[in-house]
Amino acid sequence: MTSIRTENSLQAFTLAEVDVDGAIQETMAAAAGDTRAGFLAKAGLFGGGLIGGGALLAMAPAVASAATKNDVAILNFALTLEHLEAEFYTEAEKMGALSGEAALFARVVGDHERAHVKGLKAALGRAAVKKPKFNFRGTTEDMKMFMATAQVLEDTGVAAYKGQAPMIDSDAVLNAALAIHSVEARHAAWIRDMMGMSPAPNAFDPAMTKGQVLRAVASTRFIVAARNNTGGSTRPSFTG
Amino acid sequence: MALTDSPGATLSGAALHLGAPSTRGRQLPAALILVVLAFAAVWPAAAFSQDVAPQPAPSSSPAPTATAAPPPEAITAQPTPAPTPAPAPAPAEQVELVKPAILTNARIARWAFLERSTVARAEPSRTARKVAFLSRLTPERTQNLVLILERVNVGGQLWLRVRLPVLPNNSTGWLPRTAISGYETVQTHLYVDTKRFKLQLKRLNRTIFTARIGVGRKKWPTPTGEFYVRNVLRGFKDPVYGPVAFGTSARSAVLTDWPGGGFIGIHGTNKPGLLPGRVSHGCIRLRNRDILRLAKLMPVGTPVTVR
Repeated sequence: MTSIRTENSLQAFTLAEVDVDGAIQETMAAAAGDTRAGFLAKAGLFGGGLIGGGALLAMAPAVASAATKNDVAILNFALTLEHLEAEFYTEAEKMGALSGEAALFARVVGDHERAHVKGLKAALGRAAVKKPKFNFRGTTEDMKMFMATAQVLEDTGVAAYKGQAPMIDSDAVLNAALAIHSVEARHAAWIRDMMGMSPAPNAFDPAMTKGQVLRAVASTRFIVAARNNTGGSTRPSFTG
Repeated sequence: MALTDSPGATLSGAALHLGAPSTRGRQLPAALILVVLAFAAVWPAAAFSQDVAPQPAPSSSPAPTATAAPPPEAITAQPTPAPTPAPAPAPAEQVELVKPAILTNARIARWAFLERSTVARAEPSRTARKVAFLSRLTPERTQNLVLILERVNVGGQLWLRVRLPVLPNNSTGWLPRTAISGYETVQTHLYVDTKRFKLQLKRLNRTIFTARIGVGRKKWPTPTGEFYVRNVLRGFKDPVYGPVAFGTSARSAVLTDWPGGGFIGIHGTNKPGLLPGRVSHGCIRLRNRDILRLAKLMPVGTPVTVR
């Protein structure tokens, strides 16, 4: 698997290349209340219709119009996880502790996660939750800790999307979630392979409930309270 | 199938790895530790000059493993040669573990809150000499923070060399990564010229603000060296400090019994006619309109160079 893993092999495919019979486009166009031509125009407008974040961005109008209150909550839950992943990889790239395939993984997967954030924020509009504050506690600054953490983050992401899928009301939101879910699964397989683990250990994967995911995230202490206590109105005691 | 091979592995599994002492760490050859300590010893505290990012000397140590090109913000130093003969070649993995990384330079600085009161040490080791005790809060009751200069990984334990708000000025010390919050980044750097009575704020090395200033009288000189902004106070009822006062990590070496410890501030004034000149007890005074403008441009964590 490693021998074929190059940047070229990771290039994105256009929607037209993989959706040979146009079924995906028709489904999404229908969800958007759009014609196929209209959908394609929107897909082109939002980044060339790339599978992944680009496709999610293209779906954003449809997702936004179709999302119920329940779906908005699920999308915000997903957005929180995507913020966590995106920030994790962004910081890992900036901290300069990665090399070789781990650096490539951080760059490629980081691009995907940032695209997921962008797509979900576009779909949610003003209803989007704010990006939390993070403390990755050194896991972005050490190769082994980075890989171990990336593996559980990606596995958790896969299980989290799977757990929410049956509860999604609208087809448009489900489409968006599935577009992300499969990409998270590819990330999970990639990092598991890098760590010498089976990329696909099970015929059937378990899901995680929202509560299970939140408890798991809380246990990392990666998401921290936003602190803004760098100022005040105390009378200065400086030397003057 | 082993439990760890299951996709059901949880995030808490990763958390369990954090901060756990590593067996490899205990086995780290003493020679490699010397390389780290030698690097810390030769790194000049005042290396962060106005226009030149710190450039460690070329390495004669065993070459690190191949690395991908870092992103623009990732500025990774090469190990500085130890003054002693180079150690015997060690496994590549161990060499990589002690590679120091520069986290603050002339363009970008990283800072972080203290998660708890903690002790700074002279070397990246829990048994090294204590150089300072850092409390979680400043004298102004704001969250204490430190400017982070560099990081080393000693046997899986991350240590950060930080600038310290203690006397003697320009002190640095090592904190474990576990003692601080997530990183914050600033792109600003303040330069203070105590001879020409000028202050200059740069963002990404480009000047965005200048002002004439007052500095300490000869008997209460403004300390020179490398510091950082710790907090910003507004809305207090004391016209002596003007409308805004920044607290810095610099301390008067003379007025050590001043309330709060004699920290140097950057603030406004109720006597603008005295500026520029040597007029203060060590603080850096600006006209009120200038300090108000500076307050819009300079975030906490900004490095301060005083010459």
